[in-house]
Amino acid sequence: MLKGIGASDGIGIGRVMIIVEQSLEYTPKQVTDIDAELERYRSAVDKFCENTMEQADNIRKSTGEKEAEILLGHIAIIRDPFMGGEIENLIKAQQCAESAVEQICKMFIDMFSATGDDLTMQRATDVKDIRDGLLSILLGIQEVKISDAPAGTVLVAKEVTPSMTAGINKDNIVGIITETGSQTSHSAILARALEIPAVLSVPNAVSSLSSGEQVIVDGKSGDVITAPNEEQVEEYSAKREAFLRERRELESLRGKKTLSASGEEYELFCNIGTPKDATKAVEADGEGVGLFRTEFLFMDRSSLPTEDEQFEAYKQASLILKGKPLIIRTLDIGGDKDIPYLGLAKEENPFMGFRAIRYCLKNRDMFKSQIKAILRASAFSDIRIMFPLITAVEELRQGKELVEEAKNDLRASDIDFDENIQVGVMTETAASGVIADILAKEADFFSIGTNDLTGYTMAADRGNGDVSYLYSPFQPSVLRMIRRIIRNARENNIPVGMCGEAAANPMMIPLLISFGLTEFSVSAPSVLRVRKNISKWTKEEADAVTEKVMAMTTEAEITAYLNTVI
Amino acid sequence: MVSKKVTLVNAQGFHMRPASVFATAMGKYPCNVTINFNGNNYNAKSLLNIIAACIKCGSEIELICDGPEEDKALDEAVKMIESGLGE
Repeated sequence: MLKGIGASDGIGIGRVMIIVEQSLEYTPKQVTDIDAELERYRSAVDKFCENTMEQADNIRKSTGEKEAEILLGHIAIIRDPFMGGEIENLIKAQQCAESAVEQICKMFIDMFSATGDDLTMQRATDVKDIRDGLLSILLGIQEVKISDAPAGTVLVAKEVTPSMTAGINKDNIVGIITETGSQTSHSAILARALEIPAVLSVPNAVSSLSSGEQVIVDGKSGDVITAPNEEQVEEYSAKREAFLRERRELESLRGKKTLSASGEEYELFCNIGTPKDATKAVEADGEGVGLFRTEFLFMDRSSLPTEDEQFEAYKQASLILKGKPLIIRTLDIGGDKDIPYLGLAKEENPFMGFRAIRYCLKNRDMFKSQIKAILRASAFSDIRIMFPLITAVEELRQGKELVEEAKNDLRASDIDFDENIQVGVMTETAASGVIADILAKEADFFSIGTNDLTGYTMAADRGNGDVSYLYSPFQPSVLRMIRRIIRNARENNIPVGMCGEAAANPMMIPLLISFGLTEFSVSAPSVLRVRKNISKWTKEEADAVTEKVMAMTTEAEITAYLNTVI
Repeated sequence: MVSKKVTLVNAQGFHMRPASVFATAMGKYPCNVTINFNGNNYNAKSLLNIIAACIKCGSEIELICDGPEEDKALDEAVKMIESGLGE
């Protein structure tokens, strides 16, 4: 068995087709007819662009616009006046076109690789692809036609280049194995878009596999099973069927409402960390954003972001969501999230220290600029403000006062905002759970942050191996806390969501339905699965399970029981 | 020579598409257009040069235009960057 990184979920069973890299060797020579060589180079570029346009058309039809754009980027690169100019300068200095192309491409590949930045290093792959494409044309090499691969083919290559991917017919290619790449590389993104199982970064895949042999590709675990026996083929065929069935079931829920089996409707939102993530939320069929973390605006830089910068980011996210609700959590720094330029003092006990709302209320100018930016963005769509780490009602009051001050400032400058913007509390401390009855009278909504709520309730750090056994949202204490928060929200007629990891846990879902949660906020890839899990329960069945669970006294008993009912 | 400091606001920084849009727009001007970032100069008419600079959201850069139509070029460059490069 070979092992790599599972980069595109699913099981593929088929026969290997090795894509060997063409030898692009040539003998550099000095050219005498410079004009002819320039002409040879320019017509190779034209041919390259023509091929690339054609590939982009194919991939646009088979996968989509975004994937085609990667290829169109190749044209933008090769048409770059600087790159073209440098290549032509070398030819004018009597170098042959091959050698000129190779040297200038190498310069950029080295430059991009040296940055250490993920996105920029991916551009190095693009330049390599362009170099190989141009050299193939200049040397008159015929490319292997991946489009001719027979049905049931597992492609094996050092790396899958975007131009190779363009030739893939997804009816015939059942798996992809490469020697390089990661979860975020082009190969992975394209494989996922094509829904082809892929295992990347398998060392020596090309030399250890041979064309025609049977293999099984497990795109989840990253396993490549060579020479499988009959039993294994049967086992994985069954897994494959189950995977495809589930995918179809989940896809059938796309665009549907989130309903329990007895017809109660829930909101199903996503958690995001950047404006661009909003696109993922929309693509995943999220009905809004239940938690927009704003720390990204403050991190990886040397000074505070301006109000305008923040406004642009919030506005961008809300425009992507096209009117769907967007809950923005104000800055949650301190604890494990440090921002060097703020000069936060090292603390003995940062999780119980000067962080989140506590820091913001003491740094009113900074806090007010964030609130003003959120208010300005609220002119464009349904935006709500959420304060993190509330432990006493005064914090909520002071926060709301600041919102009113910010509104007055904006009114004075004639700037639009949503007059009725909702201000809610992220209930994530034991204190906020215990005073949920007090907070619910002054907050417009609650959102339960189960990750911190579990930690603060159990006084246990999940990163500490000696005490992490205590860290579970299924502890009777944490469940009582969650029930208390939801009950008090409902009694005061305010919506109550959950934006922690527990919201997507199939064992937690019946309890949340029974307690009366109104909104689930989960990571984008979980949306359809959570919608399916919610649809499995009637309110009555969920109540029966919850009654039993709330009568149990230990976490072990509770999880063992819940495991039997999901 | 004219110059101005601006802050990059589009979330992904100067990646492929914004760099391409920006380089193409600057290519129309006869003057030299340079981006100074972290003390290094980059040719703003070349998308590859811009990408190599690895400029992230929130970074401050200095735009320098030198030659014919430098004022017009700087004006458009600043506007493009402040408006988030069409993102």
